[in-house]
Amino acid sequence: VTPLDWVVLVGYVVGIVTFGVYMGRGTRKIDDFFLAGRRMRWWAVGLSVMATQISAITFVGTTGQAYTDGMRFLVVYFGLPFAMVILCLTLVPFFYRARVFTAYEYLERRFDLRTRTLTSLLFLFSRGLSVGVTLYAPSLVLSVILGWSEGATILFMGGSTVAYVFYGGNKSVIWTDVVQMAVIWFGIFLCVGVAIAQLPGNVGLRDALALAQTAGRLKIMDPSPSLTTPYTLWGGLIGGLFLMLSYFGCDQSQVQRYLSGSSLTQSRLSLLFNAFLKVPMQFLILLTGVLVFVFYHFHPSPLLWNRVALAQLERESPQEVAVVKERFERAQAARRAAAEALADARHSAQTPAPGAYLAANRELEAARAEARGLMERRSGGVRFNDTNYIFPSYVLANLPRGLAGLVIAVIFAAAMSALSGELNSLATASMVDFYKRFGRHAGTDAQDLLASRLMTAFWGGFACLIASQAGRLGSAIEVVNRFGSYFYGSILGVFSLAVLAPGASARGAFFGLLIGMGTVALVAGLTPIHFLWYNVVGATSVFVSGLVITALFPAPEVRA
Amino acid sequence: MEPLPPGSPPAGDDHDPVPIFGTWPRIYAAVILSALLVMGLIALFSSWKY
Repeated sequence: VTPLDWVVLVGYVVGIVTFGVYMGRGTRKIDDFFLAGRRMRWWAVGLSVMATQISAITFVGTTGQAYTDGMRFLVVYFGLPFAMVILCLTLVPFFYRARVFTAYEYLERRFDLRTRTLTSLLFLFSRGLSVGVTLYAPSLVLSVILGWSEGATILFMGGSTVAYVFYGGNKSVIWTDVVQMAVIWFGIFLCVGVAIAQLPGNVGLRDALALAQTAGRLKIMDPSPSLTTPYTLWGGLIGGLFLMLSYFGCDQSQVQRYLSGSSLTQSRLSLLFNAFLKVPMQFLILLTGVLVFVFYHFHPSPLLWNRVALAQLERESPQEVAVVKERFERAQAARRAAAEALADARHSAQTPAPGAYLAANRELEAARAEARGLMERRSGGVRFNDTNYIFPSYVLANLPRGLAGLVIAVIFAAAMSALSGELNSLATASMVDFYKRFGRHAGTDAQDLLASRLMTAFWGGFACLIASQAGRLGSAIEVVNRFGSYFYGSILGVFSLAVLAPGASARGAFFGLLIGMGTVALVAGLTPIHFLWYNVVGATSVFVSGLVITALFPAPEVRA
Repeated sequence: MEPLPPGSPPAGDDHDPVPIFGTWPRIYAAVILSALLVMGLIALFSSWKY
């Protein structure tokens, strides 16, 4: 990282915190703090919705995944535009007109207090832990790239985000998200442009895409009806639809964004804005990863992308690493020659024979897998993930000075925008669903605002704590994330009962939710079904069991 | 806390004009058509013989 990159990066972070604090001025009530006074326009809310969903690890992880696995991950977003239309027709009008602060508050009005409390608790539990992961994952990568300790990176990123969310609440979150999304979009186009511009003179964009296609990196549409194969077209359309309905319809971190709209129209438009832009945006991020993949056909790449891990491995097992490195470099030279031969064949109108290229590519991947295996053996079998380091390594090694700092700032922007929205929503659910509901009902505006800010600080501290311990809690966090996928669809089932089944009772909703979570846990534990389908299973089982329970135990629970 | 009637949104409507498309059904149709178009283009991109 050059001094100019540091100037750009630090200047960006200082600038965004200052801007967030400035835009948050005039916050005097919790209505301002949590819902930006319900005065925001659709484009600002829409960009904030988009920014909250993109975390840093989505940015570096998705490009890395495209590099190693291709673009098929894109199908996860295919259900999103349809989910947005369904939400605009169903849940959004209910939330908006009920004038609620949290999605779960609506469930008390429709069903009862225990359903509200359980769903809000589930949100606090899962989002509270995942916000730690939101902070930890990019810190891990950035600490290697920047040469900082993990703790310093966590504190720098977490502390700067808490600073403006603490002061200005949702208004600061939304306006900084607008800027951060502009920076992220600029960064995406910049990376695509630079990756294309840095291809060798005799390799054009079509040649690059042909190589990527030969290596299987452009395969997106898999029409397989299998429920166990990852990222099939149907999994994306149906499973992705339920996932997006759950996330945008029932997760407070998203609901709170669009409840800040100045009218129902503004709230709906903010979601439809995402319906138009989200899939093209993910396409471009994945395409960047594919272009980086092709770029490294013609430029030397490291054996492992995590240079700190590679240096350690070289110190501890020099002979083994030397053997793998030699194998890797041979494969790299062979792949470059084969790729150039393929491009030449295309230019001279011959039929390209991809056999040698595919063999060299396989050999190169096998050499990398061997190096990862060495790392895993050294660390006692702990899985070594190198994918998230690909994109930052590419940026630092190949982007011009200053621009590299800007793209690292983009990764910071993605982390901070996701974190800010999540912190604000955690504070809202704690304040509205617990503090105000069970404790102090009639505080003054100043007291409520102070309590809301303290809760933001608490969740910020909690996120830093979890992030700093995440390395040790690795498997526990995986369990929590898996647990989150058990109830995401189930909560969607409860909201579906609320909106689509006028006769559904509170008892049906509450016990339906428990049955739904249990069903998903069973399906996840006993079958190899891919996780994208869990939300379909959860939502459907809650809806059906809720209706059955309502039919079996009618009357007293139904509130008219 | 005031309960809501089951199943239906509370009274009160939103009278903001719908930009560009004029009505909600038209804008929803535009979103769905654009999603299908984007998926079609992605399928074409994925299977095109470069």
